Amino acid sequence: MELLQITSSSDFPLISTKKIVQMNNVHASYDSKNHILKEITLSIDRGTIYVIIGQSGSGKSTLLKLMNGMMIPSKGTVKIDYQTPNINDPKFKSLMHNIGYIPQSLGLIKNITVLENTLIGALPRLGKIHALLKIFPEEEIREAKKILKQVGLEGKEYRKAYMLSGGEKRRVAIARAFMQKPTLLLADEIVSELDSVTAREIMNLIADAQKTMNLTAIMVHHDLQLALEYANRVAVIKEGEKILEIGIEGDKIVDFQTGNLATDEIMEMYSTDTKK
Amino acid sequence: MKLWRCILLTPKNNLLIGVIIALLIATSYNIGANPVDFVKGLPNLAIIASEMTAVEPSLFVTAFWSMFETIQMAFIGTIVGIVISLPLSMLAARNLNSKYVYVPIRAILAAIRTFPSILWAILFVIMVGLGPFSGVLAIIMYTIGFVTKLQYESIETIDSDPMDAVRSIGVSKLQLIRYVVLPESAPHLLSQMLYMFDYNVRQTSILGLVGAGGIGFYIINYIKFFEYGKAVVFMLVVLFVVLVIDWVSVKIRDKYIVKSQHGIEVTTT
Ligand SMILES: Nc1ncnc2c1ncn2[C@@H]1O[C@H](COP(=O)(O)OP(=O)(O)O)[C@@H](O)[C@H]1O
Ligand SMILES: [Mg+2]
Repeated sequence: MELLQITSSSDFPLISTKKIVQMNNVHASYDSKNHILKEITLSIDRGTIYVIIGQSGSGKSTLLKLMNGMMIPSKGTVKIDYQTPNINDPKFKSLMHNIGYIPQSLGLIKNITVLENTLIGALPRLGKIHALLKIFPEEEIREAKKILKQVGLEGKEYRKAYMLSGGEKRRVAIARAFMQKPTLLLADEIVSELDSVTAREIMNLIADAQKTMNLTAIMVHHDLQLALEYANRVAVIKEGEKILEIGIEGDKIVDFQTGNLATDEIMEMYSTDTKK
Repeated sequence: MKLWRCILLTPKNNLLIGVIIALLIATSYNIGANPVDFVKGLPNLAIIASEMTAVEPSLFVTAFWSMFETIQMAFIGTIVGIVISLPLSMLAARNLNSKYVYVPIRAILAAIRTFPSILWAILFVIMVGLGPFSGVLAIIMYTIGFVTKLQYESIETIDSDPMDAVRSIGVSKLQLIRYVVLPESAPHLLSQMLYMFDYNVRQTSILGLVGAGGIGFYIINYIKFFEYGKAVVFMLVVLFVVLVIDWVSVKIRDKYIVKSQHGIEVTTT
């Protein structure tokens, strides 16, 4: 009773404001028959890098789509900043403006330039008429160019997106997300298929943003090695269930789900698992 | 041996071929197709052909002017038709709308498509009278029915990833169309525009047969009065102009469309 009074009189909710994502016993399916995701419970701290790994088809992309509201859970609750994500809900729209989502094949518009692709991230800040006529304010263009420089695409602003290399395309997708002034970044296998040098460069960009912009990045990866190098937490998904949630504590890999140290045996098992 | 293998297909295929041949004979009998008549008619063709060699060059100026009118009709019809079909195709695309929107729109479009342009022309001649205006209206209707279908089909083949990425920024549907749908389908839309103009010039050339303006009006009238030497002038002009338009649209396609579509293919890393 006393607790309730405290919450109602306080500006801060009792649930920790540290959490940006909270999922509770979430089930999800595409056809209301087979559950693609089962009993997913997780919470993600603001300003951290959270990586999801698992075999292909295990439900990683689906998990991301639950977080930006492209999918609705069939059971359980998903909260992003205490709101229920739903892409069709006008109330969620203002939150969507600041959630960067990079789908598995990046979702760039191929026939337009790098700069134009980046500016799409600024659309929510534009007036309706300006947006329709493709008139971007000078300061947005300056901001876009600054971000493109930051992600290493200076001098390529006016290239058509289809002319870029795989690594450059990923930088454009990141620039578009950064243009949204994101609090949350959802990136689906953004460094898969890249050589390890380029993959690290891309990861460094995100790690920098995490520090400077207090960004929360939730990323799907294939490589456990790289995941552990950058992530605060790594969740392992297998056949739609979260079977492990690990992170590096000191020089040990800890399983936060059970509170135990993850054994070498487990680690080896999953690193070979994910390489398949 | 091998040749026989090719001809003697499986029993099922042989049966199918037999049925098709039987149908061919039956339908030919029904419509009164008679090869003897065809052969008997060949001398008539020779007469027309010889009369056609009596070309009247003085008519070329008139012919070019009436062809110019035809092209103008096709041009207006194509542009106006496409301007109307663009928003319609956005409403008819399944990946942009709920079925309560696209199902009725598609039904209306299907109804429009059941009419060939010459029937539309007859309808508009009755409505607004003889002349090129009814021809233009006919071309507009035909273009709407046809191009909208081509367009919503190409809109539906747009990669879902750019749509998802931009939609999840929280933009409006109009912005989604402006920033994803249009640029992603632009090469297809341009190609369809050219194709439709090309096709409409040919179509408009015959709309004159029902009095809806253009060069076809002259052709049908000279033929009616057996003045083949005059008709042939007009036919030659149609042939020439259609070939030129064909050639030009191939050039445009090569320059703008093949290049950017090539770009679409080069997406792998
Ligand atoms: N749009 C969809 N419709 C039906 N099933 C889907 C759809 N997308 C994914 N699935 C299925 O859901 C499962 C998980 O897919 P996904 O989340 O993409 O896995 P991952 O990203 O881990 O490879 C797979 O079995 C896949 O076939
Ligand atoms: Mg996936």
